[in-house]
Amino acid sequence: MKTDLLQLAENGGCSSKISPVLLQEILKKLPLSADPNILVDIDSHDDAGVYKINDELALVLTTDFFPPVCSDPYEFGQIAAANSISDVYAMGGTPVVALNIMMFPSSRLSMDDYYQILKGGSDKASEAGISIIGGHTIDDFTPKYGLAVTGFVHPQRIVTNKGALAGDSVILTKPLGTGVILAGHRLNLASAPDLAGALGSMKLLNRTGADIMRKFDIRGATDITGYGLAGHALKMARASEVTISLKMSSVPLIGDTYRIADEGCIPGASFRNLGFVENDSAFADGLDYNLKMIAMDAQTSGGLLMSVPGNIQEEVLRQLHSAGLTSAAIIGSVLPKGDRYLVVVN
Amino acid sequence: MKIVDTTGMKCPAPLIATKKAIREADENELVRIILDNRTSFENVSRFLKDTGAAFSSQVSDGSWTIETGRAGAEHNREYAIPSEAAIPHFKKGDFIIAFTSDTMGQGDEELGKLLIENFIKAVKDLDTLPRKMVFYNRGVFLGSTGSPVVDHLRELEMMGVVMLLCATCVNHYSLGEKIKVGTLSNMFEIAGEMESASKVIRP
Repeated sequence: MKTDLLQLAENGGCSSKISPVLLQEILKKLPLSADPNILVDIDSHDDAGVYKINDELALVLTTDFFPPVCSDPYEFGQIAAANSISDVYAMGGTPVVALNIMMFPSSRLSMDDYYQILKGGSDKASEAGISIIGGHTIDDFTPKYGLAVTGFVHPQRIVTNKGALAGDSVILTKPLGTGVILAGHRLNLASAPDLAGALGSMKLLNRTGADIMRKFDIRGATDITGYGLAGHALKMARASEVTISLKMSSVPLIGDTYRIADEGCIPGASFRNLGFVENDSAFADGLDYNLKMIAMDAQTSGGLLMSVPGNIQEEVLRQLHSAGLTSAAIIGSVLPKGDRYLVVVN
Repeated sequence: MKIVDTTGMKCPAPLIATKKAIREADENELVRIILDNRTSFENVSRFLKDTGAAFSSQVSDGSWTIETGRAGAEHNREYAIPSEAAIPHFKKGDFIIAFTSDTMGQGDEELGKLLIENFIKAVKDLDTLPRKMVFYNRGVFLGSTGSPVVDHLRELEMMGVVMLLCATCVNHYSLGEKIKVGTLSNMFEIAGEMESASKVIRP
């Protein structure tokens, strides 16, 4: 019988992150290191940590793993790896090596499933031009997989949450909706093309977007994962001390995401993310409820969110489109800091 | 009365069942939702609250009950993105700005272009923003690719200012693909907006 990993997982992908509100409270209690070589740490809520080796070189360090988001083990391996590597791209880095992290229920799944997950991860790593040089597996239920990735970045060219400037436009490189579609798939609300669209988007490396970001020397960016578009935009706005305005009708969506959300398919993670952002957000009067909740939708292996100076935005967008990121769009703008860090309009 | 028993359902199935029952309910029919876990209860309550529905809830050990109906709730509306987004912290006044040209004043054209750019930048800093901005004749060039003010206009749009561009003018100058802000409109709508505002500014 063909393996269906989804039978083994309740929450999928970045939906299974711990509540951001709880995490924030806990992180406050842990001491921050004073080592001057630490260039980026959890203080700015960035995607990865950055450690300076010398004036020319810094390491980008990140890890991410999660339970299955799809039925096929090979596909799951690919998605988990693309998602893990993405954090290095979001920091402006070039991934170099990685380690596997796996929890695998050997009594419930076959050794071929184990192989297929690792093969998916390995193939995706090759596509990113990196090697997996080790790892660690624990026998555990439910299965979980991901990578710890190390990359290189020039210490002067780090891309962080702090780099958004008033006057910039906000560009998103991949469409939203993986959370809604994956939940909809479990409840038979998503069509085969919708699911294929979500899987394809999750498997896509953020490498192309990162190359273009580097080429234009863009300094403010993050990738969209478990905290949703609104959550990650808020983190960027806070770190940069600006207000980010998101225009939801400009946000590209995967397939029938809107219709599925309109049927009430709003994953629990979206409500958690709403709790995280609402005190710092202004929602426009008449904001469409489904669009509001799509802004909260936890993404697995989502796109890059870049803050791009107005004079180059059209050219950046054109190059993203011609490099194959055809859904990339300007979805908002960076404003001087107002009453709230985040503004969401239709 | 419709009864929706979501016992045993996992998120977001209870919300889907709730929404379906409300949509199918008659005008004044009561919808009772039974839930078996706190998270589902909180999410369904939050949904009803955010969409403006009237509801009441009861908790007894291990079981949550919500009663609601169709009345007043936003989720009964058909999907339509409202044309006007009012953003709480940018105050808007009851005036309209009409752009009839891509320059400001009469005289040297280069100066005129610089002036209109400065004017639009200044609008962003006004205490109250215009209710709407309308563009006709060569004014539509301001919102097209290559215009020095297109980013400022987009920023104003993000601040909640609705922009209407005369479609006849856009077609006349063959700008169709190049328009980057606002929505295309007609003289009937533009005249209506100007008539209903207490003040129209023509730079």
